[in-house]
Amino acid sequence: MKVFPYRTLAGEVALRVTAVKQDQKDLHTSVFSGDERVVALHQVERDDWTYARIGVTATLPVKELDEGPWQDVSVVLVLTEKATNARTTAVLRPRGSDNAEWTGRIRLWRAAHRSQAELSVSVVATVDGVPGRIIGGSEDNWVVDLTARTPVRRRELQINEVDFATGSEEWLRPFKDAPWIVETSGDLPTVHLNTGFEGVSELLNSGGAPLERAVRDMLATQIATDIWTAVFHSAVSDLELDEEGNPEWPGGWRDAVLRGMLSDVLPGMSGIDALSEIHARRRESSGWNELQPRISYAAGRRAKVARNLGTAIRVLDASQKASKA
Amino acid sequence: MDVGEDFGPWLARQLRLLDISQAELGERVGLTRAAVSAWITGRAVPREDMMRRIATAIGTDPGTVHTRTTDAVTGRPVSWYHRPAHKDGGREFGNAAAFAFEADVEVLAREATQNSLDERLDRTRPVRVRYTLHELSGEPLARFRDAIGWAYLRPHYEAAAAQEQKVGRVIAEGLRDMNERDRLVLLRVDDYNASGLTGDDYEDGRFAAVVRRQLDSNKSDDGAGGSYGLGKATLWAASRLGLVLINSTLSVPHEGRTARRLIGRLDLPWRVVDGQACAGPAWFGEPDTVPGSENVARSWWAEEETVERLHLTRENDEPGTSFLVVGAHDVASGINEHTASDDGDEDESVQAMHKKLLIALANNFWAAMTSGENTSPLLEASVRTLRNGVVVMKEQRVDPRLVQPSRTRALKAYFDGRTVDELTEIGQVAMAKVPLKVPAVRGHGKVAEHEAVLLVTAAEDADDGKPNHMVTMRGSRMKVRSARVPDLPLGTNSFQAVLLAGHAAGADAVEADRAEAFLRASEPPEHNKWGQTEELRATYSPTAHRRIADFTRAANNAVRELVGKRKERSEGGPKALRELLGLDGAPPAAARGGGFPTILDLDAFVDEAGAWQIDAEVKLPLRQDPWVMNPVARFEVRSGGRPSVGWARVVAGANCEFVDGALRFKAGARSATFTATTDVSTHPVRAALAGLIVDLQKTKGAPA
Amino acid sequence: MTDKPEPLPDRLALLSDINAVKHIGMGVRSGRENPPYIELGRQVTSLPDDDVRLRVEPVRDLIDDVMHLYPPAERTRADAWLAPRLHATLRLTRREAADEAMWNHLALAVAPDYLVWRHLPAKGKDGLPPMVSASRFRGAHYTQGFSRLWWAAELFRNGADYAPAVVACGNQDVLNTLLRLDIIDHRPTAQAMIRLVADGVARTGREVNALATVANAAAGTLLYDVLAEDDDWYGDALEAWVAGADSAPVVSRRRLPDGPADDPVSAPAVDTLAERFRELFQDAPVRGRTAPPEG
Repeated sequence: MKVFPYRTLAGEVALRVTAVKQDQKDLHTSVFSGDERVVALHQVERDDWTYARIGVTATLPVKELDEGPWQDVSVVLVLTEKATNARTTAVLRPRGSDNAEWTGRIRLWRAAHRSQAELSVSVVATVDGVPGRIIGGSEDNWVVDLTARTPVRRRELQINEVDFATGSEEWLRPFKDAPWIVETSGDLPTVHLNTGFEGVSELLNSGGAPLERAVRDMLATQIATDIWTAVFHSAVSDLELDEEGNPEWPGGWRDAVLRGMLSDVLPGMSGIDALSEIHARRRESSGWNELQPRISYAAGRRAKVARNLGTAIRVLDASQKASKA
Repeated sequence: MDVGEDFGPWLARQLRLLDISQAELGERVGLTRAAVSAWITGRAVPREDMMRRIATAIGTDPGTVHTRTTDAVTGRPVSWYHRPAHKDGGREFGNAAAFAFEADVEVLAREATQNSLDERLDRTRPVRVRYTLHELSGEPLARFRDAIGWAYLRPHYEAAAAQEQKVGRVIAEGLRDMNERDRLVLLRVDDYNASGLTGDDYEDGRFAAVVRRQLDSNKSDDGAGGSYGLGKATLWAASRLGLVLINSTLSVPHEGRTARRLIGRLDLPWRVVDGQACAGPAWFGEPDTVPGSENVARSWWAEEETVERLHLTRENDEPGTSFLVVGAHDVASGINEHTASDDGDEDESVQAMHKKLLIALANNFWAAMTSGENTSPLLEASVRTLRNGVVVMKEQRVDPRLVQPSRTRALKAYFDGRTVDELTEIGQVAMAKVPLKVPAVRGHGKVAEHEAVLLVTAAEDADDGKPNHMVTMRGSRMKVRSARVPDLPLGTNSFQAVLLAGHAAGADAVEADRAEAFLRASEPPEHNKWGQTEELRATYSPTAHRRIADFTRAANNAVRELVGKRKERSEGGPKALRELLGLDGAPPAAARGGGFPTILDLDAFVDEAGAWQIDAEVKLPLRQDPWVMNPVARFEVRSGGRPSVGWARVVAGANCEFVDGALRFKAGARSATFTATTDVSTHPVRAALAGLIVDLQKTKGAPA
Repeated sequence: MTDKPEPLPDRLALLSDINAVKHIGMGVRSGRENPPYIELGRQVTSLPDDDVRLRVEPVRDLIDDVMHLYPPAERTRADAWLAPRLHATLRLTRREAADEAMWNHLALAVAPDYLVWRHLPAKGKDGLPPMVSASRFRGAHYTQGFSRLWWAAELFRNGADYAPAVVACGNQDVLNTLLRLDIIDHRPTAQAMIRLVADGVARTGREVNALATVANAAAGTLLYDVLAEDDDWYGDALEAWVAGADSAPVVSRRRLPDGPADDPVSAPAVDTLAERFRELFQDAPVRGRTAPPEG
């Protein structure tokens, strides 16, 4: 639970993108989505753009602001990307008479960004004589995705279907015998599915008969179990320690993986306790081996082993009965 | 010279009123019956001196005979006329048309206002509609009851209320409400710049359509959207006493007059009063003298004072009609049902109806009320509430922007020519033309191509109806349907779309008349969609409805085009696998352990010594063994590890003790409290500069 | 010790993590084994042929020179020399530098010998031989042996002036502590902190850590971007610098090269924050410091 030594805003600060311009061209509003809070900047037609200019409107809880102890309120738009350590800010200006809506725009230089930038807004004011205090900000931030063509949030681990033997990704050649490979580096972990491995792709994309579907889902579960196990280990092994030797939450997908699986690996512990525990066990190698079955269990739950296996058994059972009858 | 009625009909009526025969008048003025008959049938007009003699003969001044804007004799006293029961003994227990509608002020507002729009007189100006809620009690209520002849009505109401049928119960409740709580709500609907109830009392015309007939729609406008005359029944349905009084200023003189044409109509079920069986309706007016209609109450030209007493005074002489719904109630909201008896609730009931009217008007007529820089609206509407003549809620003009900000913006941009072809900014309005192929009537002639106007704009954050819907309209921008646009790609920005077809597309739209007629023919009586109807099949062809389907499809396509075509994501991989790889989709932790102690609430401040003083409330999951946890304080940072801060003091509160640097919570307790003070010497930075985070962590080495 | 790669690749390329990791074994980390250079050559993804910035030779020359200029005992000082010159030689955009696969390639296929020279500890742990941490070969931008230098030069340079980056790289605590903080992504904040280091206000590891903690914690409640507004950054200077790679001479070994001619950081903004940090820092408890240093 967090507290501040001064009063902060309780009301919601909402941020929305209202227009996007790329170089000199106004882009259609369909390049961004208010529901998904994503701006998709990858245009098939042109990949040599220099900058994008993003127009926004922030909505403030104006009644609370008027009644509160804050002076010199300013609203700052912040564009950051972890991968490039980029940080750009722009001051928004109030529109209309009640100062509820603040508008402005920010420029995103392509040379300074790589994949996904985050767009947020901070409300800053003088409180008790101290200027520059952060008194609030947007909770639901926007993602500016330089790699996406459609403004949809990427919420899954990625799947890349490629022929390991002949595809453009030469580094996959050594794995040409494998049906799939999990890669945990990059923005999001990726499972590379080997289309050169006969039948895997077809099976995963099949549908139709219950038996066929059951086999398909079993294979998907098998791959997913593999992926979740790999990403969990990867997330645990990359933990950074703070000055006091405690592990820090790693951020990004690793955070999501750890938060989602730790409660199954080490049940009954708060997130930070579980993180400390798993780090200690791994570092000291004591109790780490004993934890492996729990990691398998957690990965299996994410991969829905129980459901898909149960379905497969029922389907097999039914088809046997049918063939006997 | 402003001359009133034609001489013949005027004279005929005077004779009836005075009960003088044509022969008798001839005798008094020294002429034959045939001569008088010639005047009455209009074959001849009397000369100047004869006019004077006629005046003397019927006991009036020559001026009255000249101008013929009033009757020579004061009318017979206004009274109630109850229609006698059918001779065949058939009984009706309430107005069938009124039963089509629940008593709902929203429905009333929709139907009555649509009627006003359809009757708009000067097409360059808006029709103005005003709703007045007026609650009467005490003396003002008594006066009003006298004015409507309550003494004569009462036995009829009591007879009706005694019946077990639905209408009887409603009336009984209405009477009880009025008698026990001494109050009555009048809902008045006025329109100005409308036709008014023109025409004869019994013959075809607006007056008879509204007052005499129940299923007649006598609409002057081809684009009329009213419900085939069913709409007016909502007025009676909204009265729990079944009573509506009417005052109309006519746009076309009747009997040489225009102002203060009054009539009242009551709809009660079959009843027997004083041994006399009454069919249902009753009228409040002047007993007629026309042969065949003797004693039937007909409209009369009332004195200003009478109008005043009946709460029917209009604010000026602009044509239009005032309907006074006596005993207005609103079943749909449960308002006005006598569930409470204190004054506070009565306030709310009228005020709630006031608000409901505002919203209903805005939701149904936002389009007709929208104006552009050089385009006046079709309609202006307002609502006010009075109690015994004193303003309770002052007159509020209905502002469509408050309820329908996006759609209003779309329409306004269209009027002002500020639409764009492609949306590049939230707030813009994109326009496209959608073709409608209108087949020829019964296959004769050529197919006409109408161009409907499609407007698309981003939905406001404010909740203005369901997003991603297309509202279709025709006529006087009457909403026909609102439907979700299908097959939108994931991530589409919320939008609102408006499709203006037929006359709604504007004065210069191509083939608007034919499109309007075609679309109207494709509407069911509810006017809530376009599709196959009997009329469409009969007037056009059995396959004409396909044009409508094509039109709808084209409109949906155009919307999708404007909100942006999206390439479906090609990446993503097999669905069966993708479903298992969601980062957010962690299954809920299986029920075991039941969680861990957490800080539920934290009060904290920095004291004078610069230390944080905290007061924490802890939530404990149920467990047999006691929980042992360390309270841990850290300073918040922008990124990376948070430096921890030591405690100068920890004081256990409810359900816990502080032992060996850890909080030991009482076994089985569900909550606990403690207070603590941080050790300033361990602060990496002054407390005033950083946020503080307090957590409970497992004591190292403690049993899990 | 690790040998210079033979054959040396002509051009920088991308080496994915999954392929890099398998070569970062104990033999390579301890300098007893060379990475399999020929096999590595087959596992890379090549980059466009026509980009002069990707030639390996100028980079490799720098590596050879730095190992020649600094005796092993003074190898930590080599960072301050190498960082600006590596940055000025590669002329990368941040977009390009954010690709860790390129740094993997540099670490394993171009200059693993440098990493062993620079980062091999004197003693091993747990009875194992001394080994370079695997994160120097493949790791985050603030730990990987080459990207930490590039990012230090990028984040601490003041426009074209690498001098503040030299200060930053001259103090290992700055590199290890400040480089990982998000607050230095705001240019005036980075410059203000370097000024305190240059002025000797924060010198020792503990002092630098305390300064970092103070500034990082205060950034939880203060928005430095408002207290000390930076001018807008425009991409054209960087673009010109990248385009100029074709005609640029080899970076000087003696003089400090020039970076991209971005506008220098607003001086008043740096002054404001430096003053602010100085105050905060004087308040802060620093272990081993008895009295606040003279301001």
